[in-house]
Amino acid sequence: MMWLSSGFVFRRGTSVYHRLDSRVKLLISVLMFVTTLLVRSLYELAAVLAFMIVVAAIATVLRRVARTMLFTAAFSLIIFVLNFAITRNLETSLLYATRFVAIVVSTSLFFITTSPDELEQVMKTFRFPRDVVFAFVTAVRFIPVMFLDTIQIMDAQKSRGLELEKGNVFRRVRNMIPILIPLVVNSVVRSGELAEAMESRAYGAVPRPTSLVEYRARATDKVVAVAAVIVFAIAAYSFYFVLPARIL
Amino acid sequence: MIEFQDVTYVHQNGVRALDGVSLKIEPGETVAIVGENGAGKTTLVKHVTGLLKPATGNVLVDGQNTRETSTAQLSRKVGVAFQNPDHQLFSESVEEEISFALRNFGFPPPLVDKRVKWGLELFGLEEYRKSSPLVLSGGEKKRLTLACILAWDPEVVILDEPTVGQDSIQKEKLAGTIGMLASSGKTVVVVSHDIEFLWPIQPRVVVMKAGRVLGDGPASELMQDRGLLDSARVAQPQLVEFFERLAKRPRAPFADPLEARRWAEGEAE
Repeated sequence: MMWLSSGFVFRRGTSVYHRLDSRVKLLISVLMFVTTLLVRSLYELAAVLAFMIVVAAIATVLRRVARTMLFTAAFSLIIFVLNFAITRNLETSLLYATRFVAIVVSTSLFFITTSPDELEQVMKTFRFPRDVVFAFVTAVRFIPVMFLDTIQIMDAQKSRGLELEKGNVFRRVRNMIPILIPLVVNSVVRSGELAEAMESRAYGAVPRPTSLVEYRARATDKVVAVAAVIVFAIAAYSFYFVLPARIL
Repeated sequence: MIEFQDVTYVHQNGVRALDGVSLKIEPGETVAIVGENGAGKTTLVKHVTGLLKPATGNVLVDGQNTRETSTAQLSRKVGVAFQNPDHQLFSESVEEEISFALRNFGFPPPLVDKRVKWGLELFGLEEYRKSSPLVLSGGEKKRLTLACILAWDPEVVILDEPTVGQDSIQKEKLAGTIGMLASSGKTVVVVSHDIEFLWPIQPRVVVMKAGRVLGDGPASELMQDRGLLDSARVAQPQLVEFFERLAKRPRAPFADPLEARRWAEGEAE
C-alpha cells in the first residue's frame, strides 16, 4: 500500500511539469515507456532511466520516484532471479529486472503529476465511454481513501491483539483476513452509496454533460510535445543505427 | 496510570498533531477528551495503545514505555473502541467477533465462552449470537464493538466518538455503561464532540486545540468557562447555558447547574 500510495497517488504540485497539459504528460510517459522496450543494452537503459530521473527532478517528485524505485526493486529482484535461473545470462537478467523498474517509473511519473480531473480529460480526448471514464477516475480517486481505510482497519485489529508481523508466511497471510474483509465490505458499501448519490444528482440524465473546466493545450505544451517526440526519435535512431549493437 | 510526558507527534504531511502534551490519567478516572476536528484527540488516544509512537517525549502505560512495547501487548491492558465499527467487523458470526481478541490473547476456550456470553448479555445481543455482524444496524454494530473490547476485561477502556450514529436511548445506555465501568474501577477515556452526552457523566475534561491541552479539570468547572470553550470551539452544554442565564435573574433558584440538575433528578424521583 505504501508503494501504491507513493508511486501512483496524485499530490498537488506547482512545478512546470505539473502545469503541463495532461495529454502532453501522457505522451511523455508513453514515449518513455516505449523507449524502455526498445533498448537493447544496460547502458541504453541506464540513459533512459537517467532521463526519467531528470524529468522527476523537474517535476519535483524525485523523492517519491526514488521511493517507488526502491519498492519496485523487490519485484525486479524476483524477475532477475527467475530470468537468471532460466537463461543463466547475467546481463539479460539485469536488463529485464531494470527494465521493469523503468516501466513502473515511466507510468508512475504520469499518475503522480496528473490529477483525477485531468485524467478524466485525457480519457475523454480518446473518446472512452463516459461510464468507463467515470469508473476508472473514481477508482483512482479512491486509492488514498482506501489507503486510509486500511490504516484504520489495521489499527482497530491491532488493538484487538492481532499481530500482523508474527508467524510464518501462511500465518501472516491468514492474519490479513481481518483486514481484507472489512476493507472489501466497506468498499462495496461505499460504491453502492456513491452510485445512489450520483444518480440522485442526475448522473446519466443527458448523454453529453458539460464540463466545468475545458482543458486547452497552450503553446508551451505544444512545444514540449514536439520536443518529446524529437528526443524519442533521436533516442530510437541512436539505439538502432548509431550505438554499437549489443543485442541481448 | 497513563502518563504523557511532553509528547509531540508530527503526521507524515508535516502537520503537528500533538504539541508538547503532558497529561496524567490516574487509575479509575473517567476522562473526556474534547476539542474541534483536528485538535489531536484521536492521535492522543492512539498513543496509549502504541499505534502511534511519539516523535519526542514518552507515553507510559502502567510504567511501560509505549516505544518499547508492542500494540498487542498494550492492548491486553487498553481496549479501544474506534469510531467506525465497520472498520473492525469481519467474522462470520457475532460470537466469533467477540471471541476474536480473546483467542488472540490466548484465553482458554471455557473462559472465551463465558466472556462471549457475558458480552452478548450486557449489550443485548443474545438474539444475534449466530448472525453475521455485517447485517446488524449501526447502533447494534457499535454495541458489538464495545462488547468486543470489554470481553477481555481491559484495565483502560477508550471510546472514540462512541455516540456517532446512536439514538438518544442508545446514548443513555452508553452513559450507563460508562458509569458501570467507572464504578467497577476501570479507567475510561471518552473522545467525543457530544458535549450534551458528556455533561451528565461529569467526567474530568481535557480540552484540546491544535495538538495542545488548553484546559484540564472537572466538567462542572470547565463547562462553565465560556472563554476556554469558545477558544477551543467547543459548544457549552445547553443545561449549563440555561442555568447561567437563569443565574443572572434577581432571585435565581439555584447556585450552579449541578445543583439544579440534582434538584431536577430529585424531583423526577
